[in-house]
Amino acid sequence: MEGAPKLARLLEHPAIWRGRGAARLEALASGFAALDEWLPGRGWPRSGLIEILAARFGSGELYLLLPALAALTRAAAARWCVWVAPPLMPFAPALAAAGLALDRVAVVGGARPLWAFEQVLGSGACDAALAWARQPKPRELRRLQLAAERGRTLGVLFRPRSAAREASPAVLRLGLTPLAAGVRVTLLKGRGAVRGTIELAWPAGAPGRTRG
Amino acid sequence: MALLSTRPGEAHHPATPAPHVVPLRALAPPHLPDTSARELWAGVYLTAPAPAEALQRLARSAGRYTPRVSLEPPDGLLLEVKGSLHLFAGITGLKLAVTDECRQLGIRTVVAFAPTPRAALALARAGRPHAVLDPSALTGALAPLPLATLGWPRDVLERLARSGVRTIGAALRLPRAGFARRFGAAQLAALDALTGRTADLREVVRAPLRFRRRRELTCELENTSAILVALAPLLAELGTFLRARQCGVLELECRLVHRHSPPTRCLMRLAAPVADAQRLGELLGERLAALTLPEPVRDCELRTDALVPYRPDCPHLWRPGEHGGGFSSEASGLIERLRARLGDEAIHGLAFLEGHRPEKAWGKTAPPALGCSRKPPCHEPARSPRRPLWLLPEPQSLAVEDGLPWRRGPLLLLGEPERIETGWWDGGEIARDYYTAADPHGVLLWVFRERDAPHGWYLHGVFG
Repeated sequence: MEGAPKLARLLEHPAIWRGRGAARLEALASGFAALDEWLPGRGWPRSGLIEILAARFGSGELYLLLPALAALTRAAAARWCVWVAPPLMPFAPALAAAGLALDRVAVVGGARPLWAFEQVLGSGACDAALAWARQPKPRELRRLQLAAERGRTLGVLFRPRSAAREASPAVLRLGLTPLAAGVRVTLLKGRGAVRGTIELAWPAGAPGRTRG
Repeated sequence: MALLSTRPGEAHHPATPAPHVVPLRALAPPHLPDTSARELWAGVYLTAPAPAEALQRLARSAGRYTPRVSLEPPDGLLLEVKGSLHLFAGITGLKLAVTDECRQLGIRTVVAFAPTPRAALALARAGRPHAVLDPSALTGALAPLPLATLGWPRDVLERLARSGVRTIGAALRLPRAGFARRFGAAQLAALDALTGRTADLREVVRAPLRFRRRRELTCELENTSAILVALAPLLAELGTFLRARQCGVLELECRLVHRHSPPTRCLMRLAAPVADAQRLGELLGERLAALTLPEPVRDCELRTDALVPYRPDCPHLWRPGEHGGGFSSEASGLIERLRARLGDEAIHGLAFLEGHRPEKAWGKTAPPALGCSRKPPCHEPARSPRRPLWLLPEPQSLAVEDGLPWRRGPLLLLGEPERIETGWWDGGEIARDYYTAADPHGVLLWVFRERDAPHGWYLHGVFG
């Protein structure tokens, strides 16, 4: 059985799925210890497309991502963090207060968001890219996923909750429901993971869900 | 030579027939006096010193008199006009043309002519608009001029004046070795150049290079891909032009000329200098595909802005970002692709401005550069009051029921209000009480109430 460790090492390849726990993806700490423990790759995947399905805009979906984005933009060899066709303008003082380095943040304008998102993901100049799209076709999603892997970029696509019924090639799909002082995250799809739900409380003060 | 002699007595400097190849002036032994006056310089003295850009502009427009235009900041312009004098009706004609041109720009000038550039300028600075054509007469013409016309440092002039040397003639009479020791070798070299004893090699002003080519099409074209094919020879020519000069372009304009309508302009701004014709062609294709042409195209033209030095980068051994490398080429490629398809406003960066009013607390910037040298931001995030992640472009008026704002249901106000006021200095005066509010679905909003009547409620941000 001397070949067993070698075999185990071979099977650690990211392209090999072996049920729960064996799909090794380079992970990115989310900033929430409970979420890191719960997510299939022990954090956000370092590259690839993830989908966040929120019931409505402003359900706390960005606060879930901000700690990871802040860590990415503040790294020494940081690439861009691009916001493609955001529904409103991201407010620079709030981003700075959340710890994002604004000299690594870029915003791409509204026309043809999916084409722009694919360009951004595949360019290799971005660490992370966020996009908001209404109804992407499965074929387009597949292209986005391939582009994200090519550019080694974490692509985050925000979609309405109703999209949960459709199939998607994304690495990770999460559903979000806002709670009084936190958010309920439902795992819809993840490599080597079973569906489940976790409730996260916002750290004191950060998004300020303290009811007065 | 006959054309040169505008006045009697000025024509006695016959060009020596050259039986052998004339050596370069700079290599000629200094002990052989140069008597042939191979050069004739026009010294243009601006009576008021001009800023460097104005001088550059003047030098570029003087390029139509001669290719050899040299600058003597802040008040001198030198033209070598020996070869082109006859084209401008001799000395008088040229002097008139230069003076007129400067007068139209509001600059008063004195123009003098001499076989050496410094002598011409010294004569002009002394206010003597003479033309000294004979090198042998040069020393005599310069002798009575004050030394101040040479533009030497003030302390040197003072030392010379203390020794009783006030004119160029007096300075020329001093022993050379002693002069160099007491007043500096640079001053002796200047005197030598003044009298033509040594060659005065000057840097010539060159206009920035541009590329401009036009091609008439054999038939009128409507299809943009066909137009791109027709542009291919021009692009190839541009590529050769840029490669030969080791330059790149930052701006490329393509003009498509129609029969009746005004020409369609297609302007492409690049994020970094590009010298590769194929890449320019791809980007231009994107731009053309987005165009709507009013009419078929009869001919097309490519124009560039001023060329910029371009250093082609060799392919890296490491992948971008590995071992401390940068991502600048990926980033500029992305910027160009987005701009080519979506327009120049397609991508921008964000900046945090020092302003207490939400509208003035942020701004758009150029897309951030991704160089390899970057200090990691070390400052801790500022302890600022809580702000929403999203800001509406304009505050949006909210309905009010029972004195409380209403949006998809009654809004629940959370916590204490934050008052943001004033801005009288730029006309953007505000007086608002900001609240965090939760709507019935649990979405957090940033709303405010006007402090002035009618105390309206507005939505200004979403917390995300």
